[in-house]
Amino acid sequence: MNSMSMAQVASSKESVSQANQEYLLQGSIIASAVEHLIHRLRGLCDNVENVPETFHDLEVCMSMRQPNQVPLQVRVRRALGTRDLPFQLRYIGQPELDRSRPTLVRSSIDVGCTSTVLEFLTELGCRVDFEYVSQGFLFRKGRMKITVAKIFKIIPGKQNDSEPVCNSYLVELSVLAPNGQDAIGDEMRIFAEQLKPLVHLEKIDYKRLGNIP
Amino acid sequence: MGVTVLQPYQIPEGKTGAQAIDFLTKRLLALGAVHTGQFLVDCETYISAPQHGPSKAVHVLHDSEYPVTTFSILDTGTGKQIPLVADNLFDLLMLKMTSVYTSKKQTKIESKGARFEYGDFLIKLGSVTMMENFKGILIEIEYRPCVVLFYCWEMIREVLQSFLGVTVAKEYPGYFTSQPVVNAMGQQQLHAKQHDIYEPIDTINQYLEHFTNYRKQNIMPQVSSQSSNMSMNTGMRVS
Repeated sequence: MNSMSMAQVASSKESVSQANQEYLLQGSIIASAVEHLIHRLRGLCDNVENVPETFHDLEVCMSMRQPNQVPLQVRVRRALGTRDLPFQLRYIGQPELDRSRPTLVRSSIDVGCTSTVLEFLTELGCRVDFEYVSQGFLFRKGRMKITVAKIFKIIPGKQNDSEPVCNSYLVELSVLAPNGQDAIGDEMRIFAEQLKPLVHLEKIDYKRLGNIP
Repeated sequence: MGVTVLQPYQIPEGKTGAQAIDFLTKRLLALGAVHTGQFLVDCETYISAPQHGPSKAVHVLHDSEYPVTTFSILDTGTGKQIPLVADNLFDLLMLKMTSVYTSKKQTKIESKGARFEYGDFLIKLGSVTMMENFKGILIEIEYRPCVVLFYCWEMIREVLQSFLGVTVAKEYPGYFTSQPVVNAMGQQQLHAKQHDIYEPIDTINQYLEHFTNYRKQNIMPQVSSQSSNMSMNTGMRVS
């Protein structure tokens, strides 16, 4: 920092990370079989000797209406039970239509931020669409991230008493990478093959799900 | 991370901005300060489109002291300001809102210049420019071992006087003065900001305050003959 030249100063604020594409595969597994999947993932992923990393997050999905455009959708995620971690603000773009790709590809901007973000977005003009609690396990394999999580509904007025949406766990395999790194899709496919037949990770076509937000 | 005070510098009569910066630089070096590179603080303001109700402004600032951070301050237009400190990817997110929030390019303003270390102090001499037009000089001074202004204001003031050569009022700078706030019980109370733990967003708020003043004035900064006289009276030798 001390011997920073003006050129570095000028570039420092422009050097935003270019890892702005999310490659995603999704699937689900029934709760009674989730133990087997956890064992399998512990064997396949990095840091096998450690107990799997857990998380318990609240995600608030918000959107801002824009004239003549699809609404801008952002999500705010925060860890429950700990007050020290930054909030996570996330923008997710529309999925790419390219059918030949092995995974779903969509643009993604992940921003760590202060807890003022919810008030900031509300005043900015965003409205809450829905919110949910996600609780489960996180695994890593190289740059791949695998989450196995149960999704809970928020019951209004009962913050600490949420109800599971269904008796299954959502399994997601994702990678954040710069644009054009298509080899990662094949790498993810190969990894997904190794989880069969416990879970079938697939490229989900959101359009076919209808208007579920 | 310490406490930072941002002080506008009155350019002495008959001098240009560059000459004033040169004068201050020589002073600092004569004091024994060490030149440690450059710094830059910039500010861009986005305004909401009129069809979205009352006009709101998002001020997006960057500070080279925090190179991967974007500071945003949302001005609701009703006297309320909401700060947001985020990773610098937030800049890309602002670009996704261009149909609602548009950048007022002609008011893009920045302060840049040399950075000096002087013992426990960090001093930055910033030339403020808007659209390449020189607007004035802002001196940023940080006392690094302390995080509460109350405990170190006298020391900061002393250093400002010793090298600026102008009398700095004994009172805390405007940004730190006690302001009425409404507490959780709905009562109005005076909040003494000088006792708060200082955070980087406080530096940013001070920059925004001064940048807003510079944006309002369309003429060159007023030359004060008083300050030029006083700078002669300090007895400092300038090499």
